[in-house]
Amino acid sequence: MTGITRRTLVQSIGAAASLGPFAVGGAAAQAHKGDVIIGASQPITGIFSFAGVAMNHAFNDFVTWKNAAGGVAGRKLRYVSEDSGFKLDQGVAIFKKIMAAEKPSFFFGDSTPWSKAVAQDARASGHVITSSPSLAGALADPAGMPHHFVPGSTYGQLQEILMEYIARSARGAAAKPSIAYVYSDGEFGRDGIPAGKARAQKLGLNIVGEIITRQAGVDVPPEVAKLRRMRPDIVIFQGYLVAPIPEFVRQLREAGLNPQIMATAWALDRGTYEAVGALGTRLTGVSTYRYPHETADSPMMAIIRDQLAKSRPDFKHVSPYYICAWLCGMVYAEIAERCLKANKPLNLANMKAAMESMTAFDTGGLAGLLADLSGHQIASGRIYAYDPDKKTMEPASGWIKA
Amino acid sequence: MRTAVFHQSFRDDERLLDSRTQRAWMAAFLAALFTMPFWGSDYLLAMACIVGIHLVATLGLNVTTGSAGLISLAHAAFMGVGCYTVAWLARHGWPFWLTLPTAGALAALLGVVVGLPSLRVKGLYLAIATLAGHFVLSFVFREWDSVTGGVPGTTIPRASLFGFELRGDRRNFFLIFGCVVLLALAARNLARTHHGRAFVAVRDRDFSAEILGVNLLRTKLAAFAVGAFYAGVAGGLLGYFYGSITPEYFALTLAVFYLAAIIVGGLGSVLGSVLGAVFMTFVPEALRLLAHAGSQWLPGLAGLLLPMGQVVFGLLIIGFLIFEPHGLAAVWARVRRTFHLWPFKT
Repeated sequence: MTGITRRTLVQSIGAAASLGPFAVGGAAAQAHKGDVIIGASQPITGIFSFAGVAMNHAFNDFVTWKNAAGGVAGRKLRYVSEDSGFKLDQGVAIFKKIMAAEKPSFFFGDSTPWSKAVAQDARASGHVITSSPSLAGALADPAGMPHHFVPGSTYGQLQEILMEYIARSARGAAAKPSIAYVYSDGEFGRDGIPAGKARAQKLGLNIVGEIITRQAGVDVPPEVAKLRRMRPDIVIFQGYLVAPIPEFVRQLREAGLNPQIMATAWALDRGTYEAVGALGTRLTGVSTYRYPHETADSPMMAIIRDQLAKSRPDFKHVSPYYICAWLCGMVYAEIAERCLKANKPLNLANMKAAMESMTAFDTGGLAGLLADLSGHQIASGRIYAYDPDKKTMEPASGWIKA
Repeated sequence: MRTAVFHQSFRDDERLLDSRTQRAWMAAFLAALFTMPFWGSDYLLAMACIVGIHLVATLGLNVTTGSAGLISLAHAAFMGVGCYTVAWLARHGWPFWLTLPTAGALAALLGVVVGLPSLRVKGLYLAIATLAGHFVLSFVFREWDSVTGGVPGTTIPRASLFGFELRGDRRNFFLIFGCVVLLALAARNLARTHHGRAFVAVRDRDFSAEILGVNLLRTKLAAFAVGAFYAGVAGGLLGYFYGSITPEYFALTLAVFYLAAIIVGGLGSVLGSVLGAVFMTFVPEALRLLAHAGSQWLPGLAGLLLPMGQVVFGLLIIGFLIFEPHGLAAVWARVRRTFHLWPFKT
């Protein structure tokens, strides 16, 4: 007999559930004084979990590696994260909870809506720099979002780089290639399109049509029928991760069309280029980050692989999300180091000034060029194309400053 | 042991809280609620504000669907109407005490338009008709850039009262829960008027209600208007709470969330709305907290349990539908009855 009755058990659970939310303040007391805290609201579950898990691993691994290397100006980094489920309400509540309990200097969120929703509170707190995997143009705004930075080129800049590449590739050709856009009906899909169209017009490229679809559950055949009428030389996808790009490619090939398939950023992950490659098509696109097999030109990529071999030997694929989060960790650590070495407290004004002073930040090759964070973003990219022999994405251009 | 309340006048009979005990409990509850900003953690307050906003919207849907039996899948879109109305008016300098009722009124107007098919169809057909309303309004949110900010969304200036800015959750809490109390009181009173009884009559058998003299046209449209008004106010509060909003928030899943809340809480009752909104917001959060707490003793438990949270949540809802179709409000009533009659069995 344990002496525990059903009633006492229920009472205990009830008491724990009631008092749990109030215990948050107590957690603050447990924080190690002097640690530099990185908070995060990560989508460990939900539709974006494949990215959230990778980003969570990346922050944990970066903090482990950095602390083993001596930390930040003699202080340890500490990473605190919770699962947002990719829900705005939950993500914002986690932000407020960790802000109150841990007073983090840096915070990583999960989306554009999250970045916008916490903006006023983040600014009002006066002690936090935020970022997220979102590459939305509205977030790269030092005046309107002084506390935020974008860990890559914005979707608009990526589209501009793509258009430049298309124009350069077509030099000397009898006719300039015709381009069709296929993008999802959301900020992820629409954000970069106006900039891409404007650059195409400037370069004399012909946009023959635009197809707007839902983010998921796309009815592909009617859209492919439209593409058959347009007969583009290039189809650019924006705002998708994997689906429906392979299905579009399959149906286009069945219809006798073989346009060049292009995409940006997150759509260049392994799931997409392998699926499209299996259909005999070479995916081409623009990425802010180097691919994980490029360790020769990137000492930091080699460090990532070493760290992964130690901490996660079963972890086979380093996705762009992992690299994005690791790079954010690097930027956070550099901002903190600059402030602490100058004996300045980690408040928003000092951290913003430190970030804007990073005009030639060495990302260890993760982002190719020396990063200029004065504009609160890492504005560069490189064209990659799928190599069917190596089954990897290989560089098709040098690094281009956006 | 108290087994009933003996009313000695009609005035007593008409009271919302019919016993001294009820009034004492309600006073204690309201005191605890409105002092929460002084003793609650930031996290608790943030969650309370989110619950408060969901509660206003749930109250509205419980009028339209719970009381009047008219299924609406456009509730999230009505919230969007309220939110964008507040955003636009607040940018033009309107104070919150004007923006919120205006947001509710505009949403109510659109509620009447979306509710027009209810005069000819009901059940699943009405659900599809309101779904069309949802998609039309969602399209407007994305495309009417000058008002809604388009796909990137828009910002909402903080509410202020006589120059005192309601910044932060501790101040916003009073605005949100002031509205919650007022609107809950209004919903409770509405149920006791002839309009509220007409809603129930229409829900139970509309032909019979018409024979009894209930104007079906007016009643059905009024039910939609009232529900949409609540959603509009909730949307406005949401705007003030977040300070920035994108059309992605007002997705169809949000409308389904509110439908689930009224079913789990209890159809047609204010208490059901309260319990449903609290359950739907806090249970996923409690499961997440439990997973994190458990992982302190069993490392890796959170990694296993977190993905299961959605499954457990889904099973809980299915469990309610099977074992307690009258919702949490019925469970609450049974618990109260047990205490009233204790030590005798109910």
